[in-house]
Amino acid sequence: MPVPSLTRRHALQGVAGAMTALALPRTAPVGSGAGRAADAPVRFAWWSDVGTPTPFQVSTVGPGGAVLLSLLYDTLTWKDAAGIIPWLAAAWETSPDGRAYTFHLVDGATWHDGRPLTAADIAFSFDYYARHPYRWMTTEVVETATVVGEAAVRVALKRPSAAFLENIAGVVPIIPRHVWEPVVDPTAYTGADRSIGSGPFALAEHDQTQGAYRLLAHEGYWRGRPLVPEWQQIAVPAEASVRVVQQGEADVSLSTDASVRDLLAGDPRLEVLETAPLSIVRLAINTARPPLDRREVRQAIAHALDRGQIAETLTRGPAIVGSAGVVPPETPWHNPSLPQYDHNPDRARDLLGGQRYTIDLIADTNAREPDLMAPMLEAVGITLNVQRVDPPTRAQLLGDGAFQLALTSHIGVGGDPDYLRRWYAGEEANAFAQGSIFRHEKYARLGREQEVALELEARRALVFAMQEILAEELPTIVLYHRRFSWVYDPGAFTPMETWGGLLNGVPFPNNKLALLAT
Amino acid sequence: MRPDLGRLLARYLLLGVGVLLLNFLIPRLLPGNPLSFSGGEGTDAAVPLSGAARAQLRAYYNLDEPLRLQFVRYLGDLGRGDLGWSIARPAPVREVILDRLPWTVALLLAALLFAAVVGTTLGVVAGWMPGGIRDRLLVSTAGALAAIPEFLIAIGLLLVFAVELGLFPLFGGRTVFADRDFGATGVARHAADVVWHLTLPAAALVLVNASGFLLLARDATVGVRHAPWLTAARAKGLRERDVARRHAVPNIALPLLTFFGLRLGAVLGGALVIERVFGVPGLGLLGYEAIRARDYPVLQALFLVSSVGVLAANLLMEIAYLRLACHRGQTRG
Repeated sequence: MPVPSLTRRHALQGVAGAMTALALPRTAPVGSGAGRAADAPVRFAWWSDVGTPTPFQVSTVGPGGAVLLSLLYDTLTWKDAAGIIPWLAAAWETSPDGRAYTFHLVDGATWHDGRPLTAADIAFSFDYYARHPYRWMTTEVVETATVVGEAAVRVALKRPSAAFLENIAGVVPIIPRHVWEPVVDPTAYTGADRSIGSGPFALAEHDQTQGAYRLLAHEGYWRGRPLVPEWQQIAVPAEASVRVVQQGEADVSLSTDASVRDLLAGDPRLEVLETAPLSIVRLAINTARPPLDRREVRQAIAHALDRGQIAETLTRGPAIVGSAGVVPPETPWHNPSLPQYDHNPDRARDLLGGQRYTIDLIADTNAREPDLMAPMLEAVGITLNVQRVDPPTRAQLLGDGAFQLALTSHIGVGGDPDYLRRWYAGEEANAFAQGSIFRHEKYARLGREQEVALELEARRALVFAMQEILAEELPTIVLYHRRFSWVYDPGAFTPMETWGGLLNGVPFPNNKLALLAT
Repeated sequence: MRPDLGRLLARYLLLGVGVLLLNFLIPRLLPGNPLSFSGGEGTDAAVPLSGAARAQLRAYYNLDEPLRLQFVRYLGDLGRGDLGWSIARPAPVREVILDRLPWTVALLLAALLFAAVVGTTLGVVAGWMPGGIRDRLLVSTAGALAAIPEFLIAIGLLLVFAVELGLFPLFGGRTVFADRDFGATGVARHAADVVWHLTLPAAALVLVNASGFLLLARDATVGVRHAPWLTAARAKGLRERDVARRHAVPNIALPLLTFFGLRLGAVLGGALVIERVFGVPGLGLLGYEAIRARDYPVLQALFLVSSVGVLAANLLMEIAYLRLACHRGQTRG
């Protein structure tokens, strides 16, 4: 029997395990929410600095920057726990052909410098983004934005877009014309007014060195003064993120380890919010390369993998086995009637027809899934050749199509389902979409149809049909869905879950509604 | 000595030119590119950037130009003192580097100097009576420390002193948004806060580096302790401590100085691990983030700072070497 050798990766995994120990409760909790001063800041721990908080300078490496912007800037629409709601636009009409929206501006909205927010600002924002894109969300579908009344804007689209209200009107920050109009190069703009928005909080201080942000309540906010006088976002290494809440150095923090709920069960001060499973761990499959160009081989892989065991082992919580249609359960667009692939090695062997294969898998250096997958696949005749690389290298390999299987984990699958089309239409610039190689005429047609289908039930039927094709063809195999566990001090902050995730599917608990009076 | 110094400076100037080219090329030789938006740690996000917007960004950062044009542009910018703009989080690179540099310099220089003094002292103590209990104890301890990877030492310190005992903070270089008071007491309080935050990372670096100085100093001391000039010094009636301090240490200083220079050159690599573990906002942590994001301008600037630092350190070492060699020649001749 071969003796496993100790490799550099094993050493790194050991370090990761040791670092994880930092996150586990060890001592009695410190402090108490009951003793908080009324004007005490709420401190939100995130894993990294997110750059300068303007739409043109914020970091798009991870969702921390886009979510921070949502506190500083308002959008035309927003989302609560049940769906899309009016925001800066108090109401809107859609043209019969779905190619134009007329938004009516809410009364009393002002910028952080006290100037009134006008329809001209909204029209200007779309015009400016056409020349200087917002990195988090493209506005490419917008043709023009025109002021059509004292407080109304007409946004004309190049084609109808069912995702427009959620993905663009609800994501793209409205920016002040008086700040940005003279700015030719917003990426390099360093003016003191560059973070002026109209959101419930205004930027008071950005400690660039420490990656920390101090936001103060916008006194003149049109929805009323925020309940929290001060919001801080501080950069904390992921390994220490739970520990800092336990020690009272932060009030809200993220853990991707589901066992944190049990570990904190006896804690009298802290609570845990588990979000809907908007994070996804999946295999991108190059369906253009043998043997994965054969559907039977892809299905055999799905049957060979005990995805429940993989999920339970790695999330340390109840398994949420991946939906074959990609869209996670508990989200608005999930098709619950799809064929799934139970763990069935015999069925996998049948599908392979007695053939043996060696298949390459690209995975991140610290990914643990391949170690669990390899013996499962070996048992049915597939030898997994794992190549461990860092994320940018993976992105390049995927972009070049130089892969067979690639393990990816990401968010962004809870919101509007147009991503199912964009992934396979080459319209997204991220690593995951680049690895989406799947040619299927009917799927592409359904994708185009749902993109312009404005009637909800008709669109749902199309999106469900797309999921059925995904489940049958398996151009990607979802191993499992993950919840985010937010550890928080309820004495400081009450988190809320957002319909389909914040923005375009971000499972963060700091929806600005949670910081405002109802 | 003057012609030697002239040749030395010319050689370093040539090296500097070569280093510039490497600084530019190395980030671009890495697989991946700055616009892949492959996501952060653990929570990658799906960024729906259109092809047109992506092309616009490529053009903005001149990534669509041939490499030679990019290099010419880089040299031109450098000539004007412009290090460019960070791509991952748009900001002037010079500003980002200047923000981070003091943390790394303060942390590493303090730790390295402390490690050199402590390591050398203990090494001389061990080597003065080789085979004795002190020697065996010190060499065993140093050997064990040298064998433990620095990240394990760092994590161990963090677990014991920050998590278990709560004596030090879990992360960071200072308390964020602490009260602003720039009076004398305020400055003292802020300084104490920084020292409190940097104690564990500095301790980790001292433990990592001291063993090398100790073992080197110990071996060098064993080699010289029976040298004739030490016998002469003893014959003059000097105490053993003075013999060691005034006659042995200067004569083992050259290899130690070389080692110090080498460690100084390697500090950025060491800082990367230590700063990552303790969340110290220095150049090491910046480099870690920049490599993950393939942020070419930041990587170029970091390599530049690092290589200029190494070259400067080596140049100083060589000048010191020349002077010490002269001095030793005089004292021994």
